[in-house]
Amino acid sequence: MLPNLKVENLSCVRSEKAIFENLNFDVFPGQNIEIIGSNGSGKTTLLRAILGLIRPENGTIRWLDDDNNFNEYRTYDCFYQGHQLGIKNLLTVFENLNLTHNAKGLKKEKIYKCLERVGLSNINDLASSLSVGQRKRISIARWLLKDFKIYFIDEPFSALDDEATNLIERLIIELNTEGCSFVMTGHRPSQVNASRIEI
Amino acid sequence: MGSPPLFYNWSSKIIPWLGITTLVLLSLGIYWGLFVSPIDYKQGDVYRILYIHVPSAILGESIFIFMAICGFINVIWRAKISGMMLKAAAPIGMSFTLLVLVTGSVWGKPTWGTWWVWDARLTSTLILFFIYAALIGLHSTIEDKTKADRAVSILSIVGVAIIPVIKKSVDWWQTLHQPSTFTITSSPSMSPEMYLPLLICLLGFYMFFAFSLTLNLRNEVLDRERSKAWVKQNFNS
Amino acid sequence: MSNSIFGWLTIILRRDLLIAFRRSATYITPLIFFLIVVTFFPLALGPQESLLSSLAPGVIWIATLLASLLAVESIFSEDFRDGTLDNFFISLEPSFVLVFAKVLIHWLITGLPIMAASIIAAIVLYLPFDSFLPILLSLILGTSFMSLLGALGAALSLGKSAILSAIIVLPFSIPTLLMGTSVITSSINSQDYFGFLMIMGAMLAIGIPLLCLLTVEALLLNYD
Repeated sequence: MLPNLKVENLSCVRSEKAIFENLNFDVFPGQNIEIIGSNGSGKTTLLRAILGLIRPENGTIRWLDDDNNFNEYRTYDCFYQGHQLGIKNLLTVFENLNLTHNAKGLKKEKIYKCLERVGLSNINDLASSLSVGQRKRISIARWLLKDFKIYFIDEPFSALDDEATNLIERLIIELNTEGCSFVMTGHRPSQVNASRIEI
Repeated sequence: MGSPPLFYNWSSKIIPWLGITTLVLLSLGIYWGLFVSPIDYKQGDVYRILYIHVPSAILGESIFIFMAICGFINVIWRAKISGMMLKAAAPIGMSFTLLVLVTGSVWGKPTWGTWWVWDARLTSTLILFFIYAALIGLHSTIEDKTKADRAVSILSIVGVAIIPVIKKSVDWWQTLHQPSTFTITSSPSMSPEMYLPLLICLLGFYMFFAFSLTLNLRNEVLDRERSKAWVKQNFNS
Repeated sequence: MSNSIFGWLTIILRRDLLIAFRRSATYITPLIFFLIVVTFFPLALGPQESLLSSLAPGVIWIATLLASLLAVESIFSEDFRDGTLDNFFISLEPSFVLVFAKVLIHWLITGLPIMAASIIAAIVLYLPFDSFLPILLSLILGTSFMSLLGALGAALSLGKSAILSAIIVLPFSIPTLLMGTSVITSSINSQDYFGFLMIMGAMLAIGIPLLCLLTVEALLLNYD
């Protein structure tokens, strides 16, 4: 089986300081990777470098395309969630899902289904009235909008109650069986089955 | 030249040559212009300020074009040295533009009877001055120098649109300002005794720009590479 | 349609217009600001009809430039802070379209209300009825160009003081100011103003691709 993503010799230098050097890993379908490091160790920078938001100093990132070739550009959608959840206070729960770029061309029913799976029922409430846990659920509902091959999630388990942690763990396992992979960051290893990289 | 230590060593060799040529050209051109060349039959001795005014006007504009080219290279290829060049050239260009405005006013008072008129060429030169100020201001607000270079590069590419406007302003709009002194397509309207010293002054100004740019750039390189081994070696021994 | 870039454009437009609609300050503030600035001139200069109507083109344009700069800082700041912008760049959609959509939204919430208010300004500054059409035409082109410039200024000064973006943008807005006032002045003097409009149109035509691309580049700077 071929990996969906190959990271080779990746190095990043910011303000004359090496953030990470010569990082190598492959992301196979259904496999998880967890990047462990303390605050400021460059976990977010790594995710951004892989996704092309910043140019790394060295190394290549190669994505598998439909013809089983590896390219330096990506031909399929990936899901990315940074520290901030990107939830707009002045939109309702439904609109927060419906009006994101990943929801382009989706039917309403599909969106209702996504919200149902994460246990959100108050879909016409403004997001400003939601609790932190509920906001997190909106962001998790976005995972389900499309079939993403790889999910890049920055610290998925930070500041979560047990219930939401269970929900995320369950969803990751479910999506893994469908062949999706997760690239996550965190301060310490999580319960999820993953190969770990320390930076 | 791309690597900082290489540039630093190479530039220390050419600086004396740049300095000497600048000194020779400028003293020759200015002496010839101020004392030897004939008096203008209309304006008298006042016209001699032209030997400072015209070269600094040309420099103010050409330095901006130079900066925009550096900016373009920096945006497309992320060449660090071109970003530093842009940064180093900006204050020089701004000073020349200020010099044009000041010498222009001094020249305007006796010939037009006023320090300032709101005509096309003067106003567009003033805009150029403001754009220089905006570029330098933007650079100083961004902490990370490399990032600041790229931000200023982007803005300089937009700003270069003002140059053809300044250049053409005397032809497009009716103005008090006289038409361009230098044109590539036609022979000069001045007598050669006046024209030649001007040409020498212009070359001198360009050399002065190269000289001061190199000095500025060396400072910039040292400042940014201060933690590098080669800088410490050069200055500790 | 849903798979073309228009599908993406409409999602951004719908989302941002909905947010702007629910936070009425976004489109009312520039409008009120414009009217207040216009009101200041008769108060400061005295109510003589001839004086005011001769100053009116400049007054309208200065008020327009200042009012359209007012909301510039907010073009990208909220999306940048809450991480929405990261996702736009990571998606496979062209980021050029994102910037274009943002410029369009800024124009809809500042340029369009200002155009409506400019007619009121023209009436109270005693401009002749014939000049309303050139005023509107010059404002359509000019405010769109200001929105483009504003987006670049906002991208370059993201996360910094709002006044910085104004200082970056103002020198570059001078050609728009000159052309815009020339259109109105020549129409009052019943001269041909079409040439100035064409120059403004040309600036806009070059500005849309060039400034949008540079704005993308400027936005990406904020991730380094």
